[in-house]
Parts: sequence; C-alpha cells; structure tokens
Amino acid sequence: MTRPILEIVDLGMGVSFQDGGRRGWKRFGVPPGGALDDHACRWANRLLGDAEDLPVLEILLMGARFRALESVEIAITGAAVSGSAERWQTRRLEAEEILTFGQPSHGVWSYLACAGGFEAPRWFGSVSTFPRGGLGRPLARGDFLHASGFPTTPSSSSIGTRWVQPSERRDYRDPGMLRVWKGPQWESFDASTRATFFQARWEISAQSDRTGYRLVGPTLTTPSAGIPSEPVLPGSIQVPPNGQPILTMRDGPTVGGYPKLGLLDPLDLSRLAQCRPGQSVQFQPVDR
Amino acid sequence: MVSPSPAASPYDCRPPAPVNSRVEPFGPNALLVRFQNPDPDAAFLLIQALLRNLETHPLTGLIETTPGFHTLLFEFDPGHRPPPDALASLLDQLPAPTPSPPTRRRVVDIPVTYDGPDLDRVAAQRGLSPQEVVVLHSAPVYRVQMLGFSPGFPYLAGLDPKLHVPRMATPRPKVPAGSVAIGGEHTGIYPVATAGGWHLIGRTSLTLMDLDRAAREDPDAFLLHPGDGVRFVPVTSSPQPSAPPPATQ
Repeated sequence: MTRPILEIVDLGMGVSFQDGGRRGWKRFGVPPGGALDDHACRWANRLLGDAEDLPVLEILLMGARFRALESVEIAITGAAVSGSAERWQTRRLEAEEILTFGQPSHGVWSYLACAGGFEAPRWFGSVSTFPRGGLGRPLARGDFLHASGFPTTPSSSSIGTRWVQPSERRDYRDPGMLRVWKGPQWESFDASTRATFFQARWEISAQSDRTGYRLVGPTLTTPSAGIPSEPVLPGSIQVPPNGQPILTMRDGPTVGGYPKLGLLDPLDLSRLAQCRPGQSVQFQPVDR
Repeated sequence: MVSPSPAASPYDCRPPAPVNSRVEPFGPNALLVRFQNPDPDAAFLLIQALLRNLETHPLTGLIETTPGFHTLLFEFDPGHRPPPDALASLLDQLPAPTPSPPTRRRVVDIPVTYDGPDLDRVAAQRGLSPQEVVVLHSAPVYRVQMLGFSPGFPYLAGLDPKLHVPRMATPRPKVPAGSVAIGGEHTGIYPVATAGGWHLIGRTSLTLMDLDRAAREDPDAFLLHPGDGVRFVPVTSSPQPSAPPPATQ
C-alpha cells in the first residue's frame, strides 16, 4: 500500500529520488546511480529505523519546498542548511506544513527520508533516475511523493526525536585530504605530472554534476598514447587531453577512453561530493 | 527478431590464439583483467569462458563484471577482493578457450532503413556510393564488444575498414533513438535520444531497452548482451532522394 505524503511546491535547484543504487547492470552500460553522499543518505534512513538503502530525496543546494499532505515522520541529513528543519535528527511534519530548504552554508546535497521509505518507480532495481539514458524523468513541481507502508499514528511519535551522534555528523567545511589509489594508467603519466597532482590544490568547477566533478588547477600532461575504452569506476580520476581532471561520479559513464591517473577511495567519494564549486580540495596517495 | 544462431557464427570458427592477461588492482574493491594480446577474438573467447566458469563457480563477494575492449573489470563487496594473483591463477586454470557451443550463442537480426542524414557524406568521404556503404555495412556478423556510453548502446566490432570514419568533431545535440551509426572503427545503435558524435547512416524500429522489463529487473530488457552477434538487415523503403554530398564537412 502506498499513499501520497508530500507535494513538491518548488523544485529549487533540483530534487531526485535516490537510494543505494543498482548493481549488476554496468555490463549493459547502466551506471550505478544512487545517493552521492551515501553516508548522509544512510543516516537519514537509520534515524527512522529503516533499511539504509531505502529511497530518499536528494536535494541540490537550495530552493526546494514541500507541502505535507498528512502528519509524517521524516529525517533530514546532509548539507548544512538554515531552513525550517533541523539536521541529523528526526522530526514530525504536520499536515499542510511547508518544508523549505534554504541556502546551505556548507555542502551541496541534502537528504530527506520518510518513515518506511518513499515509493517510486524502479529501473533495474533502483529508484535512481537517469533521464539522459532514458531511465525515468526528473521530478517536477506539483508531483505527489508517495510513502510505502502504512501511516504512522501520531502516538508513535512518543518514541521522541532521534538524532545522530555528533561524532558521526559532518559539517562539510573541509573534506580533509582525499585518498587516491593508483589508477590503471598511473604508470603512463610521467613522474612530475603525478607529483603535481598531489601537490596542487584543485578547485571544484561549476561544471560539475552527478555525472562527474571537474577539477581546475595546473594543466597535467596526458600520456601520448590513447587507450581503448575500458571500464570506469565512480571515483575514477580521468585526465582528458585538456589536462584538467574529471572525477567520475555515480551517474558517470561505465566505460571511457581517457587515461585514469587514480581512483578516489570509495569512502572519500561522499566527502568530495559535498564540496561546492569554487571549493578547493587536495589529494594524498593511499600508502599501499 | 532474436533467433538462435543456426550454426556457429564466423568468429567462433577460428582457432583461438593464445591470450596473455594481466590482473591489476583498481582501488580497494576491484580488479581489472587486461588482455595483452590485442587479438579481439581470442580475448573475447577467453572472457566468455571466464564468465561461464564464474557462473558455475562463483567468487565470494563478486558483485559486477564489466567488459571493455581489451579488459574485464571485477568489482567486489568491500573486504572481499581477492589478491590479484588469486584471480590470475583462476584465469590460468581455465581450459584453453574453445569455440563456444552454438546453443550458447545467438545472433540478433536488426532491420535497418538506410536513410540516415550522414549516409551520403560517409559514402563520399570513403569514395563509395551510398549503396556500397549499405552492402558493406550489412555484410558482417558483428560482435557486441561492450555496452556503454548510454544504457544498452552496443559497441559493435567487425566493421569493414572501408567504413572507418573518425567521429564528428562536434557532436549532434540530439540523435534520435534507433539511429544506426558509425564511429571510428565501430558501428552502434542509439537506444535512446541523446547527444552523440557518431555518423548516422540508418535507423531501426527495434527497441534496444524495454522499460517495462527494466522495472522487473529482467536482463532481457536489453535486446543486446555483451558477446552477442549482430546482423543488420536492410529494409527497403521509399526511394532515396539523391542529394549531392556537401562540399565540406
């Protein structure tokens, strides 16, 4: 059974359903998708006592507004946003209440989970839409968002607000040193290029999205020999001919022909994802 | 349109060449197998043999295998990646690749109306008539080397060298779904409308990605799977208007 619980009053800069992503479909060219900040996404679900990979809303920066159609328990995690809801804890929205996502001071993506998880169309086992590849359409103003399962009675709110331990919260001011493994073409880059990559501070370009984050900094020298297209992982640091690296994200292509200098450690992908355009980041080699 | 191959397809009949492979770590959770021998047929047969072997003897924690042109990526659950040597010895233990049994192979016939907007230009660039392009393009049984770029987009190996044309410098903002195209040494089919830089020589009415089946997680949502054979079958339509090739690209 499903029921509508929220209406999208305003999309702001963007809202999409996400979850833990899909696995097993890359050989058909389907990227994994899923929440870019899986740490925040999991905590939103955990706060409500739900499985970690249930569908949530991934909200880009600011401007999104939702109207509650009934009393519903939610949890919000992710970007540090001054809005009408507290972060990293549960709360109850009352019917007709408007939930507004204001301008974040730090971070990019916010996650909104509802008790029992959202119900949304799935493609290849995930609600993660991929309009560019023909999987689903973007959400639109006026859409009703459904929850799965039965309504939670107000009495269940007597269990009280739950929150995430401060040690597990992130404030997204500084991602710290991001750890990088050697990529398949590591040996093809000359030593000074490799050194430059780790010495430089890289700025996140405004041309960044769920497909990839572009890095702006010193021009890296690319290997002269091209490579036949080979599989790409999220976090792959590809260096196109212009010498400015592209960090593949979860909607990025499954195969590619640019040489890969490195691979961002999977545990650091969520930290990078929350860096905003203009923010600078630095990488360090994994000591192995 | 999908029919079992009545006989082994041409590339299955060749004696496979020896294949050298190397297993490299790709981050903490993945291994990349690189086939040094550039003979695509031999590498292809080894990949198929390896994947069949893994079906019957699954590796703990293996969650994905993704083929590239000369590569195969293995992704594992965190903490389950075996050492590169372990996968390498598994590869060594495989029997020499043999032609796969015809029952495991399939060749998909794709009806094509050869009226793409770039057909005449491709022909002119290669000093051929459009009709010769059609004949050359519909002659081979291609192999789905990998799927990528967008979901269900096949990179088909086996294009006649007379039809190799570098990709366009500036991609089209929108290529219609079902477009049959040439890019470099490959030919392919656009499953959905998207931007694209390949030369459009025709179109098919077949659906390459079935969204109803995608909702059910049915692998047959995709018409083409890695390793499938593909044959293009020209469909006659109304006579082509004979437009002169443009003077410049």
